[in-house]
Amino acid sequence: MKYIIAESVDDVLKAFSETEGKAMVLAGGTDLVLDAESGKKPSDAWIDIMRIPELREIKKEGDRIIIGSAVTLTEIARSELIKKYYPSLAKGAGTVGSLQIRNAATLTGNIISAQPAADAAMALAPLDPEIVVVSNEGEKILNMEEAYAGFGKSAIDSSKELVKEVRIRIPEENEKASFIRLELRKSLSLPMLNAAAMAKVENGVIKYIRITMAPVGVGPKRARAAEEFLTGKELNEANAGEAGQLALKDANPRSNPLRGSKEYREATLPVIVERAVMEVGAQLGLA
Amino acid sequence: MSEILKCIINDEEIEACVDPEMRLVDFIRERMHLTGTKIGCKKGECGACTIIMDGNAVNSCLLPVMRAEGTVIQTIEGVEKDGRLHVIQEEFINKGAIQCGFCTPGMIMSSKALLDKNPSPTTDEVKEALGGNICRCTGYKKIEEAVMSAAKRLREEA
Repeated sequence: MKYIIAESVDDVLKAFSETEGKAMVLAGGTDLVLDAESGKKPSDAWIDIMRIPELREIKKEGDRIIIGSAVTLTEIARSELIKKYYPSLAKGAGTVGSLQIRNAATLTGNIISAQPAADAAMALAPLDPEIVVVSNEGEKILNMEEAYAGFGKSAIDSSKELVKEVRIRIPEENEKASFIRLELRKSLSLPMLNAAAMAKVENGVIKYIRITMAPVGVGPKRARAAEEFLTGKELNEANAGEAGQLALKDANPRSNPLRGSKEYREATLPVIVERAVMEVGAQLGLA
Repeated sequence: MSEILKCIINDEEIEACVDPEMRLVDFIRERMHLTGTKIGCKKGECGACTIIMDGNAVNSCLLPVMRAEGTVIQTIEGVEKDGRLHVIQEEFINKGAIQCGFCTPGMIMSSKALLDKNPSPTTDEVKEALGGNICRCTGYKKIEEAVMSAAKRLREEA
């Protein structure tokens, strides 16, 4: 195997052509190293992107925040910019694995591993991010749903596509986001369930709300029925509770021997979704 | 195919020919013979292999060896200086924070990465820093006390 340390995005694109689809982009490596050893993701070369300066930044550009694909989860969790605008994303990034893992792993890797129980990617989901993908064919932008092709299967082909950055819009004063997690332990544990929400509230009334939940399907699952119910209504406990019940319409959790049976997850999901909605209210001073 | 790795481990400049598929922990143990860095799970779930790389605690079992290129690494062997144990090591002993000892090198490295950056941590910050290190003897309380006590001593000696 060959190990290519890329110093620019152009280096990565050049490596894609030279290796003819037999290489793989390597970011933090915390998943890929294990997958490679078990034979799940064979490749002839790894293209290490962690030394590319333009991918190592979190920055504000116009009305957006840009998170480079080589930024670690620790850097996101501790970023003043992220904590100011999206504390829920700092929280999600700060709960993945352990500090040692977060010091190496990336948000983009959390998306590309495509595990539905990934806290950082799930906290990102309701923020409606733009995932910027570059290849030798050009640049394209995916939304969160488009990035997932199946359980543990990304729509992004790491042998010829590089995620350059994730872009999120800076929220207005009356827009807030939340992230709630049902957990066995505080660290080194995947969530039993998580839910995240982002909403805009005017005069106490919800203008729009996006609610995502996991692991209840492929990738982050939108709670569409709950969103429709809440739109145009007051953000209060009764409505949030009803939305929690409606979230079950879009959820199909599986049983997991460690992290809860289907029945347990169906019994607790409404509470987690309700809390995610109420947390948005709390940040807006409504609850 | 092999690659050339250059890095600094415990103040020593290293240049080695490596197989890029090798994990950093195996390089440290098998090639550098620094066996104080332990392998527990080899999946990032126990923290026994924790080292400090460019100032951050990382699981050496989850990193490809070439990730070390150009970095400065410290392992448990590099923590004592001139035959004298580090204050963190002394406080682990003083507080009885060692039972079977297998998790101890990882615990010390996570503690050192924390205290190098944050000389006055809260107990919550200690818990966050050590959250990725499992002690199957379950002596967590004494470990937490040892880190707090080491922090206090380091502040006094500074």
